[in-house]
Amino acid sequence: MTASVDQASRTKGAAPERRGGSDPRRGSFWFLLGPPAIVLGLFLIVPVLLMIAVSFRADLSGELLAPFTPTLKQFQQAFAGAGYWRVLGISALTAFGVAAIATVTAYPIAYFLAFRAGKRAALYLILLLVPFWTSYLLRVMAWKLMLGEQGVVNSVLIGTGLIDDPLDALLYNRSAVVVTLIYVWIPFAALPILAGLGRIDVRLHDAAADLYGSPLQQFLRVTLPLSLPGVVAAFFMVFIPTVGEYVTPLLVGGTGGTMYGNLIQDFFTRAANWPLGSALSIIMLTVTLGLVIVALRIVDPRRLLERG
Amino acid sequence: MHPRRSLSTLQSTMVLSVVVILAACGPGGATGPTAGAATQLPTQAAATEIPPDQVTGSLHVLDWTGYDAEWAWQDFKNTYKNVTVTFDFGDSDADQYGKMKGGSQADIFHPYTGWLQFYVDEGLVAEIDTTKLKNWDKVPDSFKAIGQINGKQYFVPWDWGFTSILYRTDKITTPVDSWGILFDAKYKGHLSMWDDGPAAVTVSSYVHSYDETNITADQLASIKAEWTAQAPLNKAYWVAETDLDQLMASGEVWAAYAWQGAYATLNGGGTPVAYANPKEGRNSWVGVYGIRKDSSNYDLALRFLDSKLGTLTGQNLVTNYFYGVANGDVMSGIADPAQAAAYTNTTTGATPELLKQTFSVDDPSILQKTNFTPNLTAQQRDDWTAMWTEVKASQ
Repeated sequence: MTASVDQASRTKGAAPERRGGSDPRRGSFWFLLGPPAIVLGLFLIVPVLLMIAVSFRADLSGELLAPFTPTLKQFQQAFAGAGYWRVLGISALTAFGVAAIATVTAYPIAYFLAFRAGKRAALYLILLLVPFWTSYLLRVMAWKLMLGEQGVVNSVLIGTGLIDDPLDALLYNRSAVVVTLIYVWIPFAALPILAGLGRIDVRLHDAAADLYGSPLQQFLRVTLPLSLPGVVAAFFMVFIPTVGEYVTPLLVGGTGGTMYGNLIQDFFTRAANWPLGSALSIIMLTVTLGLVIVALRIVDPRRLLERG
Repeated sequence: MHPRRSLSTLQSTMVLSVVVILAACGPGGATGPTAGAATQLPTQAAATEIPPDQVTGSLHVLDWTGYDAEWAWQDFKNTYKNVTVTFDFGDSDADQYGKMKGGSQADIFHPYTGWLQFYVDEGLVAEIDTTKLKNWDKVPDSFKAIGQINGKQYFVPWDWGFTSILYRTDKITTPVDSWGILFDAKYKGHLSMWDDGPAAVTVSSYVHSYDETNITADQLASIKAEWTAQAPLNKAYWVAETDLDQLMASGEVWAAYAWQGAYATLNGGGTPVAYANPKEGRNSWVGVYGIRKDSSNYDLALRFLDSKLGTLTGQNLVTNYFYGVANGDVMSGIADPAQAAAYTNTTTGATPELLKQTFSVDDPSILQKTNFTPNLTAQQRDDWTAMWTEVKASQ
């Protein structure tokens, strides 16, 4: 089945090529792709290449852009540190949990916006995005106010007489990091799911109803499978950046909430050891990429689409 | 029902929103270089002829948060009214060094003892022409020496102060007399160490009488073990001094590694705190200013540094942050009853009496026992910071 889809798309793609170079669509293709390609090249590809180069330096001394003798010293040190691997594992697990919960929580929001909000959908969407109008830092700081010893949660619990002394285990640990990250990502996760739901032809619902499908069956057998590509996209949109997250653990994580991103940040801003920081970054990049590839093998979004 | 239509509006709104989000999420305000803007600054010979208030141009200063406040450069502000000064910030010595190394166009930067040698070794700092500094003879020789590397004056010393244990006197009622309190399990969850490797090595060196300039591999291994065991005792590590202020003011942290600026802030805010005199001695650090090697604003930068050593700026530093200043006249003024008003600040609670106590004017033994921060080598910097990252990774 996969093969037939591939073939179909290949034939479709082949049609314009036959017409040769005079295709006006090709011009607009480059016109549209050019600017983002240049921006990505300059601000993503070049920096990543520089980072790879720096990771092979012995230290930071001397001219940064001058040639140097490459060494594997940084990778040896990075591989030798058992703690680094531990924290990478913890970060990946944290990211998995955060991505899963944020995606599941975001689904009903997206569903509501796509099928139930009607004319007000645009307004609700803007409301969903209101948190982004304030700085990320401020939103994380707000959680310090929520979870602190004299924070909102403790005040409410004490005020209602449920506890006598403030709980000090709410803030400055890994669970505070997880809670804050989930909050931060929910609106983000809702967007790709919404896009996925938006592609569903509502007449399919009518068709399912005609065939006596209950609302639950309609959802489980029509809506959910068709929206899975959006769900998978939402999951990875949260998972990938969360593995390298460092601001949230820095602010609410305390001594025990360190994530891999914090180690990398430390080597850049607190140790002035860019080569080792770059080596750790590359390890993280490779591991994250590896995890994503494995995950996409397991849940192939194209297959999901087809099954629907 | 027109779901298709409403969704296409919705989708376009969404695309627009994503664009807005991406724009908003970008790294906040990377401060662009302002170099090369010294429009009017004339050649050295003519410089003396132009009245200060007619000098125009702009200076870009890489500093620590807080020192952008006008009080911290008041003399320059008052004298050079038509010069624009812009600031950006580094929140640690490593951060500042990284920014300068990475090509920051700041004309002036502000490192601390421990981190000076690197700037000279890497050719990032210009030599200071001290003959152009009117306030230079007010700087004691011992301070001048701190800014000298390889026998040349590369830095102008400015602020100095102690590091010690700051503690809440309402929570810890017996006076703290040792750095060892940071390792006391009795205070689990109520301690806070500065998030810094070299600082951890320094504290351990004091507690175990190690030679800080010559830490062996074995000693470093035991220091790592010691701080790994210490980590769970902290409420959190603090990064910027304002973090510490909050943690102590809220009562979450009772004792911490701290600079005396935190003592001043908390004391002024009414929090019951004391600043310990540990039996191992306090630590002391000195902040210096350097001028970037290829700065096109060298002369204007020198004037800025000269003004930094001015009387009003120095008094402001003393009364706002309770830090010392390299201008010796300002420091001796603390004990002069005729100048009492200049050393009083109702906001911070500074009084000549409190300042005398802070700088141990009446008890010279505190200064005699104080350990000054030695310069790090590149090897020590890399080993000690890696040790600290491994401590954090073990939690």
